[in-house]
Amino acid sequence: MMAAPAPRGGWLIMLTLLLALLLSVAPMPAFMDIGRPLWLALFLSFWVLSVPHRLGLTTAWLFGLAEDVLYGSLLGQNALILCLVCAMVLGLQQRLRVFPQWQQALVLLVIFGLAQLLQLWLQALAGNRPPTLEFMLPALVSALLWPWVQGGLRSLQRRFQVN
Amino acid sequence: MGVRLLILAVLSVVLMVVDARFDTFKPVRSQLGLVLTPFYWLADLPVRAWEGMTSQISSRSELLAENEKLKAEALLLQRRLQKLAALTEQNVRLRELLNSAALVDEQVLVGELIGVDPNPFTHRILIDKGSRDGVTLGQPVLDARGLMGQVVEVMPYTARVLLLTDTTHSIPVQINRNGLRAIAVGTGNPERLELRHVADTADIKEGDLLVSSGLGQRFPAGYPVAVVKEVIHDSGQPFAVVRAVPTAALNRSRYLLLVFSDPRSAEQRAADSAEAQEQADRAAAEQAQPSTSGTQP
Repeated sequence: MMAAPAPRGGWLIMLTLLLALLLSVAPMPAFMDIGRPLWLALFLSFWVLSVPHRLGLTTAWLFGLAEDVLYGSLLGQNALILCLVCAMVLGLQQRLRVFPQWQQALVLLVIFGLAQLLQLWLQALAGNRPPTLEFMLPALVSALLWPWVQGGLRSLQRRFQVN
Repeated sequence: MGVRLLILAVLSVVLMVVDARFDTFKPVRSQLGLVLTPFYWLADLPVRAWEGMTSQISSRSELLAENEKLKAEALLLQRRLQKLAALTEQNVRLRELLNSAALVDEQVLVGELIGVDPNPFTHRILIDKGSRDGVTLGQPVLDARGLMGQVVEVMPYTARVLLLTDTTHSIPVQINRNGLRAIAVGTGNPERLELRHVADTADIKEGDLLVSSGLGQRFPAGYPVAVVKEVIHDSGQPFAVVRAVPTAALNRSRYLLLVFSDPRSAEQRAADSAEAQEQADRAAAEQAQPSTSGTQP
């Protein structure tokens, strides 16, 4: 087995994930609030896809927990969802990596949609149910943002040689 | 990977159940909240910077105009206050006549909004006062125009407030005009409350002011809550549909008031007020003594 090069750029991964956490509570105009992208899920998907050996379910779970505290939702709700998103991306990783960007976005649309559905169920259990189908909008917005997120994070990854 | 996923999923579910059913995680949550508070501060930074900038560069004439306006408003409020002083005096006297508990002036604390729940389907806000400032769970929150909601989560330096219009929130109200009681339920629309189970024949009409009735023992009585916007009588429905608009600017207010109502029990309050009454009587008697002795040499 070849000696793996020393891991580098862990701080960048953490920094971008913290940025995602910040973006997920940043104030937005009311009309855009309804389609707030799932920043954490997007950023986690990118890192899991590009450096799967550096972070995994546990990181996703911990950041989900932080999101729960920030949102004031049930502890473990977003943790479970992000964990499942990560697991799905990891499971499809071999195929996703060779897909063109638009196809990746399509697969992610389905994954994020499932995540939002789970979110809806868990919120319904807690007695808080959004009245319309609009809760699917964040999944769509996130999938549309995927090419930009991927492009931006990839250039960062190259610049700082994260491996 | 499968095993880890299973473990984490089970852990999440256990956390959720425990969090929903028991209070075990309240302190953990509050500490985690303390650690994560800088996030809200950072997220709010652009808004603050913008406000600071506009206040820096707002022109002299604008400031003068605002000053004028505020002066006029102060004058108006002072006039009202004068009337209020007389009314309060009268109220106290009437209450004395009725031998009821003295009117307790509630204490308030001014808080500032620092975050809004990112989920558009829940109406909750974050304020910059927490348990270190004496904020407690269930504490009522007002703005300048009316009731806004109640505290549902307390962290050391911040607290989360559930607004009146959240779908999970209800508040006992009464109509200011005739005292008719009802329950105002949040609809998830920031401009609308609905009154539940109001009889079709009930005396309620457009423009009626709804005030808190204090019956739920959570909100102090007599604060404005909403104004009735429409009353729909549908013969197919067992109850009238009554829609109201909250008087508080739920999605606009930046500064809000936390009300500290009396933490004493009802009996203790009665005992205390009786004592206060006695003291007042004694003081009055003592004051009356010299004057009577003065007139009767």
